[in-house]
Amino acid sequence: MKRYVEDLDFQGRERISEWTPYSAQDVRRKKGALEAARLMVNSALTAPFAGGVAQIEAELIYGQDNLEELARKIEEIAHTNPAWKEPFLYEAVMVRDSDVIILIGNTRCHETPLDGGCGMCGGGLDCSYFYEKVEHRYGLVDITDRRSETIIKGPLCTARVDDLGFAVGSALWTAHTLMVDARPFASMGMAGQKLGYCPNSGIVVGVPVAAKSKNPYVDVNVDYHLINMDKALDNTRKIFMTARLLRGFDYRKWIPKPAKETEED
Amino acid sequence: MGHLTGKEYLVDHVVEIAKNICLAVHKAPTITGKTKIETEIIWGDDLLPIIEVLEPIAKAVRYVQWDYETIKSCYEKGESPVIIGIGAKVDRSNLGWNCGACGQPTCKDFNNYAKDLGGGGQLGGPSCNWKILDFAIAADWACASAWQYRVDNRIMGSAAFGLQAFNYLPDCNVKLALALGPPRDMVYYSREEMHRKITYEEEKQDMLHTVPTMFTCFPGPGNPMYKSKNDWWAPPEYMNVEYSEESMDALDTILYEEVPEIIVKHADAVAARYKK
Repeated sequence: MKRYVEDLDFQGRERISEWTPYSAQDVRRKKGALEAARLMVNSALTAPFAGGVAQIEAELIYGQDNLEELARKIEEIAHTNPAWKEPFLYEAVMVRDSDVIILIGNTRCHETPLDGGCGMCGGGLDCSYFYEKVEHRYGLVDITDRRSETIIKGPLCTARVDDLGFAVGSALWTAHTLMVDARPFASMGMAGQKLGYCPNSGIVVGVPVAAKSKNPYVDVNVDYHLINMDKALDNTRKIFMTARLLRGFDYRKWIPKPAKETEED
Repeated sequence: MGHLTGKEYLVDHVVEIAKNICLAVHKAPTITGKTKIETEIIWGDDLLPIIEVLEPIAKAVRYVQWDYETIKSCYEKGESPVIIGIGAKVDRSNLGWNCGACGQPTCKDFNNYAKDLGGGGQLGGPSCNWKILDFAIAADWACASAWQYRVDNRIMGSAAFGLQAFNYLPDCNVKLALALGPPRDMVYYSREEMHRKITYEEEKQDMLHTVPTMFTCFPGPGNPMYKSKNDWWAPPEYMNVEYSEESMDALDTILYEEVPEIIVKHADAVAARYKK
């Protein structure tokens, strides 16, 4: 009955704006992006999978502290490989600029392969490439030794990784349909996996989501990790204060005027 | 001015829809930005070699039979599906990530392995996993796009085997086929084309083979009886796991005799298209 009365009083007012970051009006906007991200995950789960088998898990990350943790992990990984350094540092900035990060992983690619003999993993006629490189008994894979020299513990069943791609594709399609910005990233997936997100997955892809005036994932400048909106704003705070205090006058008694105006006085 | 009647113009229009879908494939966002993705569209009489090469496999592999019968039946009714071939070059890595997902410690090791031992898989391989993800995102965009045009469709590994066999998309080493249309409901799901193509006995036998636990009796003895018939106790039947020379011979005959014969028949004609 209480809920019925509440429904009769259905009216409200919400201001929504992306400025200033993490203000009430910005958080309302972010909640919209979060709803979009949830629908994107639903789409990921309905993607075509080999044999229609469920194999996808997803996690949503949002809020300043959680995004910062992910961004720092990406920065840590960036410095482990020259091929990653610059792109991953740029992508860490994109994480901080996102509303929500979706991590989508495949829970079967490392443990319960398709066993279809498709050859996509090693180019052979059977599944031996995978099974010869993993610890298993009669085809049941023992994943308890999670140590790995490489950031991803391979090999993986490529048919399952293919299915993960379908899931990510469907999430991205829904993002486009809902007019929120999103792109797929390896850096966010690898960092998220290292932080313990999608713990049952062999490989994880990150899909950041944003609903802002500027798509955070395109059109970045050189040295984006050093020159970006956050840094520019911080630089303004740093410079402007000093620029201000160099001026000395009592504004209540006298304010400097342009030369012409001063003559008329 | 115009006046379109009948169904033929709709069947023809599926080809135009296929072209739109290919636009979506090439617009799909990718992770690496470095994966070469290609598309081709095949329909009508040009599907005949693919139908022909699926026929022997359909005798041994149920899901191939399923797709083979459907495509063939639609074609024979004058409602040819339109096949979009989607391919990518994934058996070399130019990423330098050394992430280990492929099972090799570095991209260089992967490339060396691919050069020496790759190329023997039914659906390609070996694969850089990040490039496979790019390929799969693009293939998924084809499916999503097809749904938005409200054309019945299904992404197929079976028809992709046909693409691989005749070396359609010659620069790609992983391929999938998206079957599109004809323009009606339930072509590829709850398939009317499959009516009366599989007997009740075959269906039951498939279930027994694929979900044996459904038929298992009390497992206490360690070698349980199987409820494979109504009076399953008289006399009882038991399951056994063994090498089947008969099955392997049948498969070998299909893969190493019947299929190559059909490939030789059409390969030159297909290859000639790429020489222009």
